[in-house]
Amino acid sequence: MNTFVTGAKKAGSAVKKHLLTSISYMLPLVVASGLLIAIGNLMGGKQVTSLAQMNFPNSMTTLGVLGMGLLPSFIAGYIGYSIADRPGIAPGFLAGQIASFLGAGFLGGIIGGFIAGYIALGIRKIKVPRWANGLMPMLIVPTVTAIFTALIMFFLLGQPLTAATTALNHFITGLDRSQRALYGFLIGWIGCADFGGAISKIPNLICDGLLLDGIKGPEGIKVLAAMVPPFGITMSYFFAKLFHKNIYTKREIENIEVAFPMGCCMITEGVIPIAMNDLLRTLPCTWIGCGITGMISYGWGNESSVPSGGIFVIPAMSKPLVAVIALVAGSLVTGILLAIIKKPLTDKEVNETQDESQDEEKNVDLSGVNLQ
Amino acid sequence: MKIVCVCACTSGIAHTYLAKAKLEKAAKELGDEIHVETQGTIGTENALTPEQIAEADVALLAVDIATTGNERFKNIPTVKVGTSLVVKAPKQLLERIEEEVKERKSQKE
Repeated sequence: MNTFVTGAKKAGSAVKKHLLTSISYMLPLVVASGLLIAIGNLMGGKQVTSLAQMNFPNSMTTLGVLGMGLLPSFIAGYIGYSIADRPGIAPGFLAGQIASFLGAGFLGGIIGGFIAGYIALGIRKIKVPRWANGLMPMLIVPTVTAIFTALIMFFLLGQPLTAATTALNHFITGLDRSQRALYGFLIGWIGCADFGGAISKIPNLICDGLLLDGIKGPEGIKVLAAMVPPFGITMSYFFAKLFHKNIYTKREIENIEVAFPMGCCMITEGVIPIAMNDLLRTLPCTWIGCGITGMISYGWGNESSVPSGGIFVIPAMSKPLVAVIALVAGSLVTGILLAIIKKPLTDKEVNETQDESQDEEKNVDLSGVNLQ
Repeated sequence: MKIVCVCACTSGIAHTYLAKAKLEKAAKELGDEIHVETQGTIGTENALTPEQIAEADVALLAVDIATTGNERFKNIPTVKVGTSLVVKAPKQLLERIEEEVKERKSQKE
């Protein structure tokens, strides 16, 4: 039983590593393509298919759309790479093309990547005569993997994948405003639950996936809500100051000065050192603030075709005004709540500067750390 | 103890470099020598030299994703952890690794 549990844990963390690797390679592509589309659209560009129609705005939009089309392949290709190293890349990219063909974008890309990756890994392990060694990475692994992947993806998984994607899209586009507001709250809340940590990754991944299928609302929530914790905490500092209440130590204020600009770029992690000192009071305030931002953004139909970039991509969203209102409202709520419920500090506590050399570490479980 | 290390996180812009800073600080306090290579979105920086790897007692891979060049460490003991653990408790981690390395050495003798 015990070996089964550790085995399952190991497999889980391996799957996570492969997924994260692909996302790591994919992100720059999504950001660039998303911004290209946004730049093109702002100038009235359209996607065109012939060179005769090409002008500057059209060229931006067209390239962006082409870039987005590469996404399933990027995901599948780099999952394949993470599993089987270089021989996994080519079959993985092919599996991504199958996913595009099936219209199963993101989900299909992930599944295809894993299928291609593990087949490639299996074939790599087959012993061949010495004269065939050179042929393995160049010819045998990619071709044979591609053949098996094609058979599985087209004939076994094709129908279910297409059906699942269509059903999901129908469900999401069919939501009315109140339902959207509710889901917006949930996505905003969970997406910031641990300030960019493991829990946040899940809804954020789903938002990225939906973007691939042309549903851009959730992505708007993700971008906006990620900025709420740093903005809210910054605001709470000023609110509290207004009422002559000290709620942060000098050290924490220094951290806020770093967290705010990071927040503008959509990096939530900057608030962790501040939040960690008072998790019980900070978390509920940021959760509610992020939820409200999500609720307003999604409820009033704001969409973002760019998955990353913070305040700099707000002009590129479909309803920048709604986006700003959502962001400000969520941050205000967080800020006011924090200013109210955080305990006032005495002057002595405020000036207390922890000695740098005595950075306290919480005890962590290191039993899994072993030499290999 | 001499350590060579590779750091890489998912987005390749934040945790990678946080982990590097934390490790270098912790190693300095513990009197260890550490060289940290970062494989961020910008590419590989501060690449480890073959001499550094040959001299090292242990290779620490603080990575959340697949990294390149792991075959360089095939002749030395290797430890693999996630970047978040390094950011949380760099000192404890290095101490634990030191224990393991010592144990490994005494076993060999």
